[in-house]
Amino acid sequence: MGAFDTLFQWAFLVPLFPLVGFVIVGFFGDRMKKAEYGGWVAVVLSGLAMFVGILIAIGEALSPGTYTDASYTWLNLPGTQSVFSNGFSLVMGTLVDPISALMLVVVNVVGFLVMLYSIAYMHHDQGLPRYYAELSLFLVAMNGLVLSDNLLEFFLFWELVGVCSYFLIGFYYEKPSAASAAKEAFLVTRVGDVLFLLGIFLYFATYATSGGGAGWAASGFKFTNGNTPFLGSLVGSASSPTLTIAGLMMLAGAAGKSAQFPLDVWLPDAMEGPTTVSALIHAATMVAAGVYLLVVVSLFLGFTADDRLAIVAVGGFTTIWAASMALVNTDIKRVVAYSTISQLGYMVLAVGAGFAMVGLYHLFTHAFFKALLFLAAGSVIHAVGTQDLLKMGGLRKSMRVTWIAFFVGAMSLSGIPPFAGFWSKDDVLASVYSQVGAHPLYWPFLLCAFATVFLTAYYIFRAWFLAFDGDGSRDASLPHAHEAPWAMRLPLIVLSGLALVAGLFAFVPSFANLLPGAGVPPTYGTTDLMLSATSVGLGFGGLGLAYLMWGNGRVFTLPADSPLQPFRTVLLRRYYVKDAYDWFGLKAVYGLSRAADFVDQYVIDGTVRGIERAFSQLSDAGRRLQTGVVSDYAAYVVSGLVGLLVFLLWIAPWLVRSVGGG
Amino acid sequence: MSLEELAFLVLAAIAVGTALAALLVRELVHTILWISVFFVALSGIYFLLQADFLGILQLGVYAGAVTILLLFGVMVTRKRIFSREAATGIGPFPLALALVSIVILSGVAAGLPTQPRTVHAYSPAALSEQLFTTDGGWLVLLGLTMLSALAGAIYLVREGRE
Amino acid sequence: MSGLVLAQFLGLSAALLGIGLFGILTRRNFILLLIAIEVAINAAVLNFVYFAGFASGPGGVSGQAAAVVVVGLAATEVAVGLAIVLALNRQRGSINVAEASTLRQ
Repeated sequence: MGAFDTLFQWAFLVPLFPLVGFVIVGFFGDRMKKAEYGGWVAVVLSGLAMFVGILIAIGEALSPGTYTDASYTWLNLPGTQSVFSNGFSLVMGTLVDPISALMLVVVNVVGFLVMLYSIAYMHHDQGLPRYYAELSLFLVAMNGLVLSDNLLEFFLFWELVGVCSYFLIGFYYEKPSAASAAKEAFLVTRVGDVLFLLGIFLYFATYATSGGGAGWAASGFKFTNGNTPFLGSLVGSASSPTLTIAGLMMLAGAAGKSAQFPLDVWLPDAMEGPTTVSALIHAATMVAAGVYLLVVVSLFLGFTADDRLAIVAVGGFTTIWAASMALVNTDIKRVVAYSTISQLGYMVLAVGAGFAMVGLYHLFTHAFFKALLFLAAGSVIHAVGTQDLLKMGGLRKSMRVTWIAFFVGAMSLSGIPPFAGFWSKDDVLASVYSQVGAHPLYWPFLLCAFATVFLTAYYIFRAWFLAFDGDGSRDASLPHAHEAPWAMRLPLIVLSGLALVAGLFAFVPSFANLLPGAGVPPTYGTTDLMLSATSVGLGFGGLGLAYLMWGNGRVFTLPADSPLQPFRTVLLRRYYVKDAYDWFGLKAVYGLSRAADFVDQYVIDGTVRGIERAFSQLSDAGRRLQTGVVSDYAAYVVSGLVGLLVFLLWIAPWLVRSVGGG
Repeated sequence: MSLEELAFLVLAAIAVGTALAALLVRELVHTILWISVFFVALSGIYFLLQADFLGILQLGVYAGAVTILLLFGVMVTRKRIFSREAATGIGPFPLALALVSIVILSGVAAGLPTQPRTVHAYSPAALSEQLFTTDGGWLVLLGLTMLSALAGAIYLVREGRE
Repeated sequence: MSGLVLAQFLGLSAALLGIGLFGILTRRNFILLLIAIEVAINAAVLNFVYFAGFASGPGGVSGQAAAVVVVGLAATEVAVGLAIVLALNRQRGSINVAEASTLRQ
């Protein structure tokens, strides 16, 4: 029992406040005099949620521990001898532990700031009650996910989060591209979700039948056993082909949600939604849910060595994969979106290397600087009305706050000290480096991660220079930009501050309690310092290259005959992955459907029709017997009589003789 | 050969002969004459079997009422009473069916014991007691059948029916 | 009185039934059809009466009772048959059953 159990009892308020907001705005928002009122309701309620969330985090920081409040029995099965000798009950409840408290802070602080920002940013849009209701529902789902105390509850909120993402990406549903992006996001993540669910089944089947896992199954998918966390108790005990497969399923689920290769195609397209949505959902929180899943599973269930190699491979490859596509993109939001995929790759990489807390640390800092970047980009888009970087320029003078905010975000993303991103990204690199001896295949992915540092600094400063440097807009038709209203500036300022200092939180002793485990805060030995120097050098290198090519209003154009052109095309076409998926959908799935249709038409329906035709012909024959002439019917009757006589007199006795034997 | 047996054979021959004749002659009125003889021959057989009541019933119902009814039917359906039926060919299938059933049934009959047996006589009183007590249900059913047949017949022949 | 032979009676009734069937199957005139049916029914009645007579014991009278019922049924059948004859005649001007093939519809 911890000192703050009374406080933790009220953890359910964190999802409850946005839920109230959802109900009020969703059901009564249309009847309010002004659409903003609904927005303010949502802002106030998410502010309350943030307040409680921060209180809980403070409580956990001062007195770390696990508190469960399992109040609702959802399912109670009596035990059977063959499967669960102790029965099986699924109890829903809240679980407060250090990492969920940390996530509460991330989700609710970013959520509140984005809500506030939306008041100004979404001012001119239609359907605002819907927007705030969906945003509130998203916060409900995300907080619920974070506070889940068992894997099934986690999955429920996970799906709810996915639905909210679908709604919000498709917010401008009149736009065909937005509608199709929403569908794409939903379907691609669905691939991961299905595998995730299969993984849950596999874990369940394994632990339920083997009786191992400290009664994990018997306690109903619990993350805890009573008030004792599984934390680490199962790690390392997991080693069987089934568990490896289950772990891979978890990875697939996380890859879908966190847009890891090869399920990453949906996230850049999800930029069709409002920028605020991108900032909250597709940068700071929802996409982090996949990483959070990996963290939770690695802590509570454990990954096998093969799983970890796969996770490292996916994460490491995704960093450079997404960063490379960001190099050539000219859409300011998409550049930031690719950086999100890339940074999520770092987190996955850290979890795979066995440093779940390091991954979570990067998640924490990333949430702030990525939300900052998105909101700054939103501010730019709000001012100039376009997302095309090549048309912008010279915004430095008219938008000082945004200019600085974007700079802080970019520095943080590039991993330049002392910005937040530096501490966590370096921690990731150092921790992966420390594990590099575990498997020879870790090396190439570590190199990918290092190379990505350079690419990241290059592409994000390219965007920064293109948007803010120079004498003025390159496209004269753009409106003269003004700085954003205070409701947008305030979140930018707060997030800038957080992006500056969030990395240092890990050095505050009691705050570090929220990230229990090895690797956080970073320990700077000699090797680490060399690694840091390398990565910072790479970051400055990228920055410098960006300045040379794009600084001061320069626009670098790749010569048409350059041998690099094909690479540029491949990157712009996003490695043709989306085309491949489309081809797969159109040709392979459609072909399969055609084959299925053929089978249905000719084999199944053919059989049915054949039977029908046989009966039809039979009845045609029968119809010819039906002459309507009485004598003919009489003949049939008499034939029957004769047949009966023959049967009774000869056949039946013969049967009786031969069967009865006497 | 006893007298009864002789009488039976004569009556049987008359019955078979008249039945065949009734069905084979072309003149419909002749058919009815032959069939009335057939009914009388059968009633003779009933007397031979000591079933006096049934013999009288046969005479009254068949040789009397049914014959008259049939004659009546012929009269209303024909413009000229004495007109010959068009010859109808006898299909091989019906003939074969009839022959097969005769052969089969006769075969069964031939396998039965051939020694003469005495027959019991039942008084009409016993018969009526049986009919109105033990077998009363059958009589009720017969009455209901007759009633519905009466209704049906009236329905069939009433005027103005399409 | 030396009695009667069962086999002979059954032979007669078999012959009569066959003649009746033959008539039913071949005759096209409705009245002839009725007559053929009567012949066949009488063959059956004959059987009842024989077995009533040959049965030992008081239950035999039941056979005669059945015969009475069957005779009644046969008379009823003739009445309905004649009604059909009249209806057919009025509707079609003919009592040829081969033409009365409306059962087909």
